[in-house]
Amino acid sequence: MSWQPEIDELHRRRALAEICGGTEAVAKHHAQGKLTVRERVAALADPGSFREVGKLAGKATYDAVGQLTGFEPAPYVMGLARINGRPVAIGGEDYTIRAGTGFGSDRRKGGQGGFIEDLAFEYRIPLINLIDGTGGTVNTAKRKGYTVVPGYGQDGIERSVELLGQVPVVSAVMGTTAGGPSMRAILAHWSIMVKGTGQIFAAGPPIVERAFGEKLHKDELGGTKIAVDTAGTIDNVAENEQDCFEQIRRFLSYMPQNVWEMPPVDNNGDPVDRCEDALASIVPRSNRQAYNMKKLVGLIVDRDSLFEIQPTFGKAVITALARMNGKVVGIIASNPMVGGIMDVKAARKQGHFAELCDMFNIPIILFADIPGLMVGRESEADAILREGVRTRYILGQVKVPMLTVIVRKCYGVAGGGFIDRAGLNFKIAWPSGEWGSLPVEGGVKAAYRREIESAPDPAAREREIETELKQLASPFRTAEAFAIEDLIDPRETRPYLCQFIDAMQGRLASQIGPKYRAGVRP
Amino acid sequence: MARIEVKSEITGTVWQLKAQPGDKVESGDVLIVIESMKMEIPVITEDGGTVKEILVKEKDPVSEGQVVAIIEE
Repeated sequence: MSWQPEIDELHRRRALAEICGGTEAVAKHHAQGKLTVRERVAALADPGSFREVGKLAGKATYDAVGQLTGFEPAPYVMGLARINGRPVAIGGEDYTIRAGTGFGSDRRKGGQGGFIEDLAFEYRIPLINLIDGTGGTVNTAKRKGYTVVPGYGQDGIERSVELLGQVPVVSAVMGTTAGGPSMRAILAHWSIMVKGTGQIFAAGPPIVERAFGEKLHKDELGGTKIAVDTAGTIDNVAENEQDCFEQIRRFLSYMPQNVWEMPPVDNNGDPVDRCEDALASIVPRSNRQAYNMKKLVGLIVDRDSLFEIQPTFGKAVITALARMNGKVVGIIASNPMVGGIMDVKAARKQGHFAELCDMFNIPIILFADIPGLMVGRESEADAILREGVRTRYILGQVKVPMLTVIVRKCYGVAGGGFIDRAGLNFKIAWPSGEWGSLPVEGGVKAAYRREIESAPDPAAREREIETELKQLASPFRTAEAFAIEDLIDPRETRPYLCQFIDAMQGRLASQIGPKYRAGVRP
Repeated sequence: MARIEVKSEITGTVWQLKAQPGDKVESGDVLIVIESMKMEIPVITEDGGTVKEILVKEKDPVSEGQVVAIIEE
């Protein structure tokens, strides 16, 4: 006797799951420029690598003799797949079924905790969550006959919290997202949102209108402009779903599978001794003039290896993953194109990125051209000191080696955050480098007030003191005193750094594993 | 013809106008220089074309994200 009838039934039920929310719902979904969740997984994962788990989960109805009469699949689709040849736990809501809202036991599949998070945790593989759900519904009370306390059952974030210390977690906002799923979007090492079709908020336009009488389009409330560029709630923007999948693959290519492994080495053959002549003149002689730091960094790291994290938020600092002689590095660089002055957004961005690198054993290279913290009433009201010092605190706890290249300015509290004081304190500078507690121009009047005021010609005396101090500010003098470890020809930057990045690999390999941080962040 | 808005990346005051309506510009050209926190911050066009309008004059205050020029491709 064969089990063929049951096997046929199994395949019939799998085929029913493939229908998603029905032809009409899928057509509507497609018309909005959105793929279904299975199409998304297929486009993101290595071809043919998706092994779906729990495809039979859902709500079935039966006739009197126990024959299946109807089936609504569980709205969360998940399983195992490969990306860049490596296994990942992957899942996402099927918006065509109840707007992606799961309930009952099928909620165990994932979306808000559940099997998919457990799989990533137990197997120590990255988790990718393709979010297209709106979370809870008041219907729950009607179904259950009672209301539940938030965080009940699978809604807890305990597992998500553990994951953030162990495996890379990526979330993609592929649709309008609120409530529980929006929380999952934040509980990630890196997040991305699709322009136009993705929105994220604590609550959507109808609730906002009820609360404040303000009528807003969902894009005004939680589109990429607000959630990514302005708030930094989500890290990167994707132009469309395809771009989103490419960026996810790119991000994961820099990540180890978990904190017990080293990030993958990928040498694209870019010669270590490539010394770009453009670097000798990229920094203008006038320290008032800006230059393109992204281009500068791009000339130093492995060709085409620069991948920016949060490119549109907190633009005073550039954070990026890159490679040096094939090894993954994190880049933190001031951005003189917007003044390079650290504001609260740049501070948050820099601190978060440093933690990401630290967690996954990625050494950090800092390119400093930082005049200081943002001053002024508005900035003080934003808590610039607390945010700026918190970032320094985070950098003070980082366990991966950091290398500093002082390209131009390095001043004050913010400048100190660009130096590996907790480690080797290794900093090299270009001849354009200048540093101190604060720039000479701003500090003379304050430090020499009495002397200037009592001089016969105060303005002339101020200029005199300024000239005197500026001579002392020559980077050669600091190099003589070994108060900067080296002053280098900008063209040597790549071979210089590559040699040190290569040399620290043993140290990095010796400190794999979860990193716990003691203390209370300011 | 595509109309492209060029925005200032930073709050400050207009220090110099480097382009005028009618000028042919290429991607990466500086249109305007903004002074902010004692720094000269260029407003750069990402697209090439013809400058249609310069919407600010020297010493004007500008805010982050403000459209300061229009380019036609």
